[in-house]
Amino acid sequence: MSFPEIAGMLLAWTPFLAEGFAWNILMSLLAMVIGTVLGAVLAWLRLSERKALTRASLLATELTRNVPTFVFLFYLAFLIPAEFEVSGQIYPFPAWLKAALALSVAVIGFVSDNLFVAWRHWRNHDHAAALLFVPSWTLYLVIIVMASSTASVIGVSEIVSRCNVVIAAVGGDETMLWVYAYAIAYFLLFCFPVNWAMGRVKHHLLMHVSTKVRKGEERGEKT
Amino acid sequence: MKRGSILLGICILTLVALLSAPKALADRLDLIQKRGTLIVGVKSDYPPFGMLDANGRLIGFEADLAADLAHRLGFDLQLVAVSSTNRLQKLEEGAIDVVIATLGDTSQRRQIATLIEPNYYASGATVIASPQARLSSWADLRGQKVCATQGAYFNRAMAERFLLDLQIFNGTRDARLALRDGRCIAWLYDDTGIIGILGESQRAEEQTPLPSMMISPWAMAIAASERGLRLERAISEVIADWHRSGWLIATERRWGIEPSQFLADLHQLWSQTRPDGTPVCTRLPDGNWPAECRNKLLLTSTEVGGLHRVGLLLKEQTGLNLSILYDGYDRHLFLSGIGMTLKLMVGAIVGSLLLGCLGALVAESGIPGLNGLVRLTTAVGRMTPPLLLIYLVFFGIGHIAVTRFGWSFDGSTITIFCLSVYTGCAIVFALLEACTILKNREPSFVLRGRTLPRAMRLASAAVIGALVNVVKATGMASAIAVPELISVSTAIIAEQGNAAVMMNVLLIVYFLLVMAVVQLFSYFERRLSPHELP
Repeated sequence: MSFPEIAGMLLAWTPFLAEGFAWNILMSLLAMVIGTVLGAVLAWLRLSERKALTRASLLATELTRNVPTFVFLFYLAFLIPAEFEVSGQIYPFPAWLKAALALSVAVIGFVSDNLFVAWRHWRNHDHAAALLFVPSWTLYLVIIVMASSTASVIGVSEIVSRCNVVIAAVGGDETMLWVYAYAIAYFLLFCFPVNWAMGRVKHHLLMHVSTKVRKGEERGEKT
Repeated sequence: MKRGSILLGICILTLVALLSAPKALADRLDLIQKRGTLIVGVKSDYPPFGMLDANGRLIGFEADLAADLAHRLGFDLQLVAVSSTNRLQKLEEGAIDVVIATLGDTSQRRQIATLIEPNYYASGATVIASPQARLSSWADLRGQKVCATQGAYFNRAMAERFLLDLQIFNGTRDARLALRDGRCIAWLYDDTGIIGILGESQRAEEQTPLPSMMISPWAMAIAASERGLRLERAISEVIADWHRSGWLIATERRWGIEPSQFLADLHQLWSQTRPDGTPVCTRLPDGNWPAECRNKLLLTSTEVGGLHRVGLLLKEQTGLNLSILYDGYDRHLFLSGIGMTLKLMVGAIVGSLLLGCLGALVAESGIPGLNGLVRLTTAVGRMTPPLLLIYLVFFGIGHIAVTRFGWSFDGSTITIFCLSVYTGCAIVFALLEACTILKNREPSFVLRGRTLPRAMRLASAAVIGALVNVVKATGMASAIAVPELISVSTAIIAEQGNAAVMMNVLLIVYFLLVMAVVQLFSYFERRLSPHELP
């Protein structure tokens, strides 16, 4: 295939692939929301005075940290039925929702660990250090967006599985290379700006923290 | 009066029992010998297994089996047409001696008739699809729309085991049309029934690209009262001989049926011999065939020993189908899956560390332009989803390498390489950050092989985090069919239908593996920097 042919082919399939990428973003955002809420509960429990609650929360965090997202993906795909019947009405349980739930497990562990630290900083009135949670959270979203590509293995119609549809429809040996490379470009275009912006925010906050620490030290010397 | 009628009733019942008892107790083989004719029930509506020819005679694969059976036992043959609904009833009535009519071997049927082992054939679920669908394994159908016909025993199980999006149609014609119209990419159907339906009119776009699944062995049946008697044993010997000689395979070929893996496997099993020359499948002193020569699906814990027995007992008592305990094949598969996952984990850790250190050394080598180049490459590498990278290398570059240069790489090597690149980039990033900090502390610092451990010590938390992540990501190899833990678990689920049990086993095994890796790393971290501990 010549270059104009390849470009034409990619352009023709762009709406289809872009819609797939929108699914990646949607699944990831949903996973972040679910994971943040549940992770916040775990972090709050870890700060609790009661030993039993702290220990239970730590165990749950450990579980979410040690089991790969990929394994949870298969776990939920196999164990949640495709449809639910609630009082005679049948509700589907779509694969993308299962994928979002599987992705949210990793988010739970991340939020439990990081929010726990941020919370303690906040209590100590170390607000800048606590706010570091925001860029970390956003950077984690980038990681989850990249991980959402694995949802293709359970049949979610996101960008990677749509790539396979395009490859099957177009045929030709070199198509694969170009279609996959094009899909990678989507991830780069999304991740680069977010990473860069959050890097700046993080840097800015860290400067705050270090000046504050220095000021604190100065105060400490005076008293 | 009332008591009298009860007494009378008992008397009549006893009389009936006494009169009918001798008939029931008589050996059926004696009766057949007196008659000189073996009466066999076969199907008339299941081509090419049992059907009617132009003269209305019953012919087919199973009719041939009946003829050879009668010949070997020294009788004449009479064929009787039976249907799926009346075959066992006619047997019980005594209207026929033997049923050879596509009868699936199940434990419920074993209660009402004597099903003879070994099984003589098997059916299973397969798919019909056009070559454009490019199906190479059942996993390719995950999440896809698949047409199916109402009432097939495997519909639900196949949908659960392979996560198919089933579109159920009322009849075979509707399902076939839906496939033709592209409303589904494949049509799930019985692999023996499909022969009769496609028949002569088979079209080029109707192929069966996948191996049959959910194999259901077929058994010949005789009356329940004949269990353990001479007729059962005589028929059993004939079937065993058919398997040993390969006669069934030849008969199948004569009818133009696609070679069945089941017959090939059984031919191999029944012709196997022990080192001392005796066949593996020789009757035990109690008259039964050894466990390895029987229908594994219907064995019970009383018929086996050892770990096999523990697993079956667990299944019978609790319903937990831990086939990796009682099935030698599944156990071996699972252990080899753990082995492959460990290999991927070790390979990815070593590869990531090598690439990471190499990348950082090259970036800091002082050669102009290299630093920027490495930083850009690692930034791109860290933002490429590893699964996409694996697909790109395995399918895209791998295909070109094979067709242009004849190089081929196996899936595990490619997975290790891609995961190493992804994690290596993160390690380069962490090492370069550490370099910046070290340079701030002492401006004379340069990264060389000698000073690498210092940078590594400073970056250890980030490096270990990245390595734990790569260990967790090794499951991605299952996407390109590397036989690691996830692949073998889904394969076992496909055979056994024990999704709940296997998925929990997988979860626990992975949890323990990752925990072991984390422990190992924290041990090394303590060894690496003993003086930096508080």
